[in-house]
Formats: sequence, C-alpha cells, structure tokens
Amino acid sequence: LCRGGLAERLCRLQNRERAAVSFWRHQCIADAKIPSDKSGVLIVKILEMFEECTIQVAMCQQLEQSPASLSSEDAVISAGEPMLKVLFARETAAHLKSRPQDVIHIYPPWQKLLLKNADVPVIMNTYFSQKVLLSEHSETREKTHGLTKMFIRKNIPSLAQAFRLDDVDDELHQESSDNQVACAPEVHNNCDSKQYPIAQSAVNDSLLEMVESQGAVGWREARVQVVIQRVYCLPAREGYRSHVQGNKPLCATPIINSDPPNVRLCLLVQDAYGMFSEVQLQFLSCADDIEEYCRRWEGKFCCLAGMKILQRTTRGRALGLFSLIDSLWPPVVPVKVPGQSQDSEMMTTNLPPPSFCYILTVQSGEIHVEVDEEEQISNLYQPPAVHGLKEILQMDGCNERRSFWAQVLYLRVQTKHSVPINQREICLFVTDSTLQNVVHITPKVVAVSVTASYVLSTEVTEALSVASRLVFFKDALWGNGRIICVERTVLLLQKPLLCSAAGADLSELTGPVRLDELDSTTQANSICAVRGTVVGVNESTAFSWPTCDRCGNGKLELCPQDRGLLYCNQCSAVVISPVLKMQLEVFLSCPSRSESMVKVKVWHEVSFGLFVLINMLLSPQSYEVQSVLGKEVGLLNCYVHSVTSHPNCVGLEEIVLL
Amino acid sequence: MDSTLPAVAEELLKEIKKAFQETSHIPDDLLLGLKFIFGPSAVSALDLVDHRSVTQVMSPSGRTAYQVLGSSGKLYTCYSSCHFCTCPAFGFAVLQKSESLLCKHILAVYLSQAMGACQKLSVSEEQLTSILLAEEEDEG
Repeated sequence: LCRGGLAERLCRLQNRERAAVSFWRHQCIADAKIPSDKSGVLIVKILEMFEECTIQVAMCQQLEQSPASLSSEDAVISAGEPMLKVLFARETAAHLKSRPQDVIHIYPPWQKLLLKNADVPVIMNTYFSQKVLLSEHSETREKTHGLTKMFIRKNIPSLAQAFRLDDVDDELHQESSDNQVACAPEVHNNCDSKQYPIAQSAVNDSLLEMVESQGAVGWREARVQVVIQRVYCLPAREGYRSHVQGNKPLCATPIINSDPPNVRLCLLVQDAYGMFSEVQLQFLSCADDIEEYCRRWEGKFCCLAGMKILQRTTRGRALGLFSLIDSLWPPVVPVKVPGQSQDSEMMTTNLPPPSFCYILTVQSGEIHVEVDEEEQISNLYQPPAVHGLKEILQMDGCNERRSFWAQVLYLRVQTKHSVPINQREICLFVTDSTLQNVVHITPKVVAVSVTASYVLSTEVTEALSVASRLVFFKDALWGNGRIICVERTVLLLQKPLLCSAAGADLSELTGPVRLDELDSTTQANSICAVRGTVVGVNESTAFSWPTCDRCGNGKLELCPQDRGLLYCNQCSAVVISPVLKMQLEVFLSCPSRSESMVKVKVWHEVSFGLFVLINMLLSPQSYEVQSVLGKEVGLLNCYVHSVTSHPNCVGLEEIVLL
Repeated sequence: MDSTLPAVAEELLKEIKKAFQETSHIPDDLLLGLKFIFGPSAVSALDLVDHRSVTQVMSPSGRTAYQVLGSSGKLYTCYSSCHFCTCPAFGFAVLQKSESLLCKHILAVYLSQAMGACQKLSVSEEQLTSILLAEEEDEG
C-alpha cells in the first residue's frame, strides 16, 4: 500500500472501526441492557427485508421511542411515521438475525444518505446495531423463529447502467406542441380552388396540404411544386425494387446492374411555405452519379405527385436530417404564411426552425418527380456556404453542417480484415490555403473521418489514388472539434458553380504542402513531419521484399515455369527487374518532442545509412548496429499510430502523401 | 422492490467527487461509507487509485474504455457505458455469485473519475476496437 495514500488511510479507519464495534458488542452483552445514552440513536421497526450483494436492505419505519417502554398492544404502527431504508453489512445482519416486525436500535456513528428522486433516506454504516426484544414475548418468539429458516429475497442489481458522477440536468427541453411552419387547422378550410385540382396541370405549392389531403378525392393527381435544396445518397435499407423513372435517365441505356443497389438517391425539398421534406427516389448501385444529379438538379423547381408518406420524423429522432435543415434556415427569401392570400405580406423573420419533417417516397409504376432542368434556379435555393478550414475550426457550435474545398493529402483506410471493405472507416487528411499559409494556432492538416463509406464514391477514391486532389466537401458535419462525413454529406471533385464563398480566401495552394511537426500536442490518428536522430533500432522488424516495377504489387510469387523468376499476378507477367522495398522500425530522439520515445516504421525514403543497416541486418553475418546510431533522419512524413503516456511513446509509420 | 444499492453507490461516489472538488480531500466518513457498501474491494480500489493505475482510453470518434493495471501487473479492461470488467473476480463475484456490485477495478475507475486521477490515452479507432475485442496487439 502506498504510504500516505487513501488505501492506507482507509485501512487505519477500518481497523479502528472494527475494534470499536467488537468492543461495543462486548459491552452490550456484558451489560445486558439497553445503554442509557439515547442521543443520536435511531429506533426502527423492520417492515420488509431483502438482500442485495450481501448487504441486507431493510425497509423500516422510524419509531419515536423504544417500544420496550410500551406494552405490545400500544406498539401500533401509526401511518405518519417516517420511513427509512436501512442497510446492514453481512456481518451485522448475521449478528442481528433480524426479521420483519423486529425493532432495532442503531447507535451512532451511522450515516444517512439522501438519494435524488427518492423519498426514503438511506441509513448506512450501521455496525452499532442492536435488536430490542419486547420482553413479554421474547422467549416464545425466539423459540419459534429459531427453528424456522428465514428466506430472504435476493435482489440482483442490473449491470446495464453505469453510474453518472456528474449532476445531469434532468430537464430535457420538450416542446409541448410541435412548432409548425404552417399553422395547420386553417389549411383544410381554404376555399382556394387550387387545393384539389381537377385538371392535371394545376399545381399546389404546399407540402403540408398534400400530406394532409392524402386519400382525399383527386389526391393522386395533385402535384406540389417544390425547390430542390440538396441532392444526396442514403443507404438503401429495404430490398430494392425496380422503379419506372419519371425523369430521363442520365445514361442512354437503361441501368441494368448486377450489383445489388445499396444507396438511394434522395432530395431535400422545400415548398413556398418554407416547409421541408426528404424525398427518397430510385436506388443506385453506387454513389458515382451523384455529382451529376447535384449539378443538374440542385436549386431547380420540381413537381411531386402521389408520393407515399414513409414517416413523419422529428428533430429528436433525425438529428442528421435536421442539422442539414438547420443549415438552410432561415429561408433566404420571404416565405408564404398559410391562411392568407398570396398578395399579403410574407414572413421571413422570427420563424422558428422546423421541428418536424415528412419523409416521402415514390410509389412504383408512376410518374412522380419531374425536375424542370431548363428553368432557372429558384430564389429560395440556398447554395452551400463555403468556408476556409481555418474559419471552420474556429467556429463554435456543435453538429453543424459546413462545406469546404480542400486538398486531400493522405487517405487511410481501417485495415481490419474482418470488416468488409465498404464498411471500413476511412480517414482523409486535408488542408487548404487558410491552414497552410498561417503560422501557429491552427493545425496545418485536419483529419476528416468518413463514417458513411458510400459517401466516398469510387470515382473520388480512384481520382485520389492517382494524385492529390481538391475535393469539395458539401455539408460535412462539424462538432466537438471534429469534421466528419456522415449521411447527407456529398463529396465532389468539382466545386459546384453556385456556392457562396463567404469571403474566404480559397486560393490555390502555392508551394509544397507542409505538415505540422511532431510535438507534445500531437495525437494519435494524425499525420505529421518528423525529424530526429536514430538512437535505436528494432532489429527484428528489418524486412525487405521485391515489388513489381510496373504496378507496385508487393505480393510477388515465384514463377511456376522457372523458379528463379518472380511473377506478378496483377500484371500477369514476369517481373524482370523488381523494385526492392525495405522496412525497418527505428527509435528516434526528436528535439520537438523530447520527452517521448519516438518509434517510426520507415520504408520508403530510406536514408543511405538505414539502407545499409537493413542490408546488414538481413544478411547472415552480424554487424554492429552502432554504425547507424546517431544518424540524422528527416523530414519524414508520418502517420501517428498511437500515443501512450505509460510508457511515454509515440508510434509512427512513414507515409507517402498523395 | 427495485434494487437499492446502485443508487446508493452512485450517490456515495457523487458525494466523494463533490467533496474532492471542493476540498481536494475525502473525509473519513465517505471512505468508511465506501468500505460499508463495497466491502474489501474498497481498500483494493483505493490502492489502485493511489498508484494511478486507471487509464481512460479514447478514440477520435469519442468512444471510451478504461484500462486498469491490476496488482498482478495484468491490464484489465472496464467498459464505460455499463458495468463490465475483464478480471476473473468480476466474472465470479459479480456475474456468477452476485456477491458484489462491482469489482475493485470498476470501483477504481469511478474513484479515479471522481478525483481526476485517470491517466488519459488517445488511440486510433482500430486500437480501441482491438482493446474492446480483447485481441492480441502487435505493438506494445
């Protein structure tokens, strides 16, 4: 035990307490009468008992005075007496052998604990407890009860809930009634002849009307005109069905894919009253065409007809959807107020943000969505506001949608092989001119994690595998110091034509990209630049392997025909001159983070000294490692695997930026 | 009747946290309260806290777990959202026999939280996953 530590203190207190308890018990037996000092004594009558984890819990009634002084007939439970929950330690309970209806005297020091949300106080540290026997019936009772075994119910507490040591504010903000952008009751009584159009060409402009008139006569033909604010993909949850598309498909031939569709094209639309709805359209096999849909459809008017209502969701249940809706609130042009004719004033100020949203979906076999691609962009459309990364990192707020345009420097995929490729977490390390051109304060590179893997289309991934690219991150989620790409985020290779730059300096990156140097603030899952001196080498990690000079494949095989040659499966050809790659784990002393041991797996830009060393280590003869110690290494670009404090070590792996 | 002990234990730990925040000291009666509720685990847990054996492991997504360096030198993992520990005493005394509410490692986690004595460690998502899945780790 630590000298002066809490454990030692408790040991001492515990020993003292134990001695006091046994002394006290001896005294009780010796005196054979109730000690006269009544101050601080709790007198309780046990009503019910059960056991929890060896502690006996007794539901008791607190008595004013000892019933020994009353006759048994007088000791009636009066309703007004306060209740207590008394806990007895296993040893005390065994000593007391109490039963319901027993009266117990609890002598100080005992402790009272008041629980939140509970009326009954809890009494603990009840070591100094003594059962009081009502003199008249004591003997008979002892005899009868001594023979029958008492079964005490055992309560097994649940392990499901962890304790919360902070005082959580239990008041959740609950809206008593949903705020509605459109005030509902009046809408139905609207005598406007447009409400239920007879002719197909009549178009409504209220989503709420369409939803609420579902099933009414002429509802099928009713069309609602809305503005497409956003186009994105969502994972397909149900099984796919084929749909007849109301719009011209993007490609000339019908899409016949052998891959099962796993994403669904969705629109976030807004009507003239400012109300939003998410419309789920056809299934796509992958998210690749999303860029074109965005370019052609966002901001345009669209007519919806005969939609099926999937659900009405609220803010509390669809945080992702509402964070996107919030980014589009308030509307940029005045919206209509229901119940008034079109010419009267329209409101845009002081409108509360929407608290509910209908999710609509297509019914198969019918024309539902007609996007007017030729028309101009609606005034109601709010293009994504683009900010520089530096500005975003300094913003307050939690779970807000932010759009930015950044250079992707490095892509890291989670390497766990048990997880299918399309569900692995991907991390993109990005930067822009606002981060690169500023000294200190903000990091030079930001990690963006992609949790919804389909958001990263194969098009973008392939483009990134060739070279570093500028990628437009539309509606990424910013909060808690992190940027994440979730559902409804869209990654595009081209900056959309319409986006408000919000005054950010989004100039191209001039000059080579710089990474932050490894220092005491570096955390795991980041990239940094490292320089230092070699102070040690992990000889067992020295490894070299041949790679194909055409495709870089590191898993070459021996040629079946001629075992002296190497064969590349990917190129399906013999590798005449393989490129030798080497790997070694070295320990560095880095002046920028001198307190840590820095361990780097180097493999690419191997300095000559290390190259020689690796060769030495791989050869059967043994050489001195000393010849490499002291060599300077750097500036290496590395990915930080782990940062531990006990031992103080940073694990890195050399990487190549895109 | 619903169980009582968890609420009592939680309140006691909250009082310890409050007392520590206000006075940087834990009064004797709260220590004895720990002993009363948790039995012999109390001293062992406090010993672990004295030795700063509890590490809070966090990943970029915000997931956490706790690792406690036991007296035998073994590292046990405790979950943050429910009561679970990989030590044998937990499996026996808590799960099987329901004799204890917590094992000394979980109690040490709470006490370290209350006193701000947790070591902190950031790891990548992969590493946290492997900790939670109790896989063998390649690197130390």
